[in-house]
Amino acid sequence: MTGAVQVLDDAQRAGLAALADTLIPGGSGLPSASAAEVHGQWIDRALAARPELADAVLAVIGTVPEPVAGLGWLADLDRSLADRFTFAVAGAYFMNPVVRRALGYPGTAPRPLLAAPDEAEFYLDDDVLGPVLARGHVFRQPPEEPAR
Amino acid sequence: MSDSRNVADVLIIGAGMSAGVAARHLTDAGLRVVCLEQGEWVDPGNLPGNKPEYEVLGSGNWYPDPNVRRRREDYPLDVSESDLPLFMYNGVGGSSVLYGGIWARALPSDLRVRTLDGVADDWPISYAELVGWYQAVEAEMGVSGLDGNPAYPPGFAVPLDPAPIHRTGLTMAHGMNKLGWHWWPGTNAIPTRKYGEQEQCVRYGICRMGCPQGSKASTDVTHFPAAITRGLTVITRARVAEITVDERGLATGAVYFRDGQEHFQPASVVLMAANGIGTPRLLLMSTSRRFPHGLANSSGLVGKRLMVHPYASTVGVYDDELEDWLGPAGEHIGSMQFYETDASRGFVRGAKWSLIPVGGPLEAVDKWTGPTSLAEGGFWGEGSAEEMRTSIGHLMQWHIVPEDLPEEQNQVTLSTELTDSDGLPAPKIHYRVSENTRRIVDFNLARTLEAHEAAGATRSWVAGRNHTSGHNTGTARMGDDPATSVVDRWGRSHDVPNLYVIDGSVFPTSTGVNVGATICALAKRTASHLVEQARHQVVGA
Ligand SMILES: Cc1cc2nc3c(=O)[nH]c(=O)nc-3n(C[C@H](O)[C@H](O)[C@H](O)COP(=O)(O)OP(=O)(O)OC[C@H]3O[C@@H](n4cnc5c(N)ncnc54)[C@H](O)[C@@H]3O)c2cc1C
Repeated sequence: MTGAVQVLDDAQRAGLAALADTLIPGGSGLPSASAAEVHGQWIDRALAARPELADAVLAVIGTVPEPVAGLGWLADLDRSLADRFTFAVAGAYFMNPVVRRALGYPGTAPRPLLAAPDEAEFYLDDDVLGPVLARGHVFRQPPEEPAR
Repeated sequence: MSDSRNVADVLIIGAGMSAGVAARHLTDAGLRVVCLEQGEWVDPGNLPGNKPEYEVLGSGNWYPDPNVRRRREDYPLDVSESDLPLFMYNGVGGSSVLYGGIWARALPSDLRVRTLDGVADDWPISYAELVGWYQAVEAEMGVSGLDGNPAYPPGFAVPLDPAPIHRTGLTMAHGMNKLGWHWWPGTNAIPTRKYGEQEQCVRYGICRMGCPQGSKASTDVTHFPAAITRGLTVITRARVAEITVDERGLATGAVYFRDGQEHFQPASVVLMAANGIGTPRLLLMSTSRRFPHGLANSSGLVGKRLMVHPYASTVGVYDDELEDWLGPAGEHIGSMQFYETDASRGFVRGAKWSLIPVGGPLEAVDKWTGPTSLAEGGFWGEGSAEEMRTSIGHLMQWHIVPEDLPEEQNQVTLSTELTDSDGLPAPKIHYRVSENTRRIVDFNLARTLEAHEAAGATRSWVAGRNHTSGHNTGTARMGDDPATSVVDRWGRSHDVPNLYVIDGSVFPTSTGVNVGATICALAKRTASHLVEQARHQVVGA
């Protein structure tokens, strides 16, 4: 829905890649942030969706001295700035279909409710509601007239 | 100024949830109804939920905090004296556009807290009086669920079959059974098959960003289109600035701004449906020589007793793949185990629990990084990929909605600092979480952690507290005594006999459940009363 807006130049993208990799170095079958092109098309998509995050992204890229190592830089940032930056990076990362596939996350794909006609009953098989029903009513019945 | 050819039988302020229910009922009865709504219609194609960047979009222009969205129609909220921000949506459908669709009737005890617990006030009406109205709106809103929930009086039944409780609900159900605790398949205003104007749910699980499928019951889908075919007029981009009165003190209509121009809509009867925040704001803005402290405010209670259900959440990580993003969201299961008062716990009243899908990966990460999360260690850095791999799709969260009791210092006033895009004063929110609410939350957080453990979580923690619910109630309370209430048992102002309040403002106490069902039932009841009493209704000049 949102066209690609390129607010970062090449140097800023390189800075973003380095910072984002300290947040998401990858492993466990998942790519690092830079391997997932967070600093490329995906940050553009994230910033097109929420242009007001660009200030935070640029501010962090501009203030953290290179070379970055570890997460000390994150702890040194103002909390709100850090939150907006990590949100933009994570938002960009999780948009990448490669990442989604590796996580087994299909995105918001339609799935009919009910997938099978007896799907709702399936989960209630084996009398799983039995103990709840056996205990009976659990509410308090007040006297009908309000106190005045 | 007024134009008699243009006089509405009934003018409704706002076109949100309560307004939709009333407008449809009143137009069905043949009345000439006009709604003035500051926002616009939602174009389902613009909703973020089925787009790849939905989580990022949903945190900005579709976020439920008007101070974040900052659209033209969003009056800002001055929250400098509030423990939390407040949520709402401003447009046709109102907050029902962004609500979760969890459908919960109040319980009989909710309306009798003075009698049963010696606190706050009883409602002037009982559960028995409300049941028929709940049933009527449940039929209008495609409510699905399983009949016979033992947390409610016998006879609880809704029109549509329940949604599957899914792997999440089943896993948690086994844990709850081990503990001997109540749970029940979720009841949601989300249809399990095509139902009237509503499409069948396709389980996107993003109900709180608006439903691109047109399935969830928001009144822009369920009520307004039908009412418009019967003659309802909805004027959008119309920001009401004042309810006007004649020399007898009767309401005569409303002044509103549209694209910078001032207009007047005359009416015989005025219904306030501007949300528990917008309604007191507008009544306080509507001062006159006769009503120097705001309209309908002889009790001094307009704006006071604000209740907002600051909710809390816990999350557990499970070995099994749970597809924790799958809707409806909505609740998969709910629990009323700790709903009723037990004095030995050190507080009165209790909380409802809802097991709600976590949503996408960004929401999952928020369980670690959210401002009030008690997750140990950070999320980022070495190990973050392993944390993602083992937790995304493997989480369950309990939401805990505590009953919030009324206190006069928790209130809406008019801000002297902030104004909306028409220059009108913003509401100022004074809200502090009370000691009783804090104790309800602490107790229930601990119990939900036990539930996660019983259900087999490998880890669990408090994901946050003082979350904003969007349940804004209490600011124009209902009661029999004009000295201690703003409106009577029918929602009619004690002071202005042709002015009614039909939104969440009228709640004398907040109940401990999601408030939409009760708001709709009350709106339907007031609209029906208006129709029945139309011949006796006094009207303004
Ligand atoms: C994110 C979120 C999740 C929620 N989840 C649930 C849930 O799962 N279950 C549940 O039961 N409830 C839920 N709620 C609460 C529920 O949506 C609200 O309680 C309900 O919609 C309130 O109805 P209302 O008619 O009082 O106000 P609203 O539906 O908010 O409508 C008020 C309308 O009045 C308009 N208005 C206000 N002032 C003016 C003015 N001056 N001029 C013109 N127009 C004006 C507004 O633009 C708005 O459209 C949720 C709410 C939110 C925000």
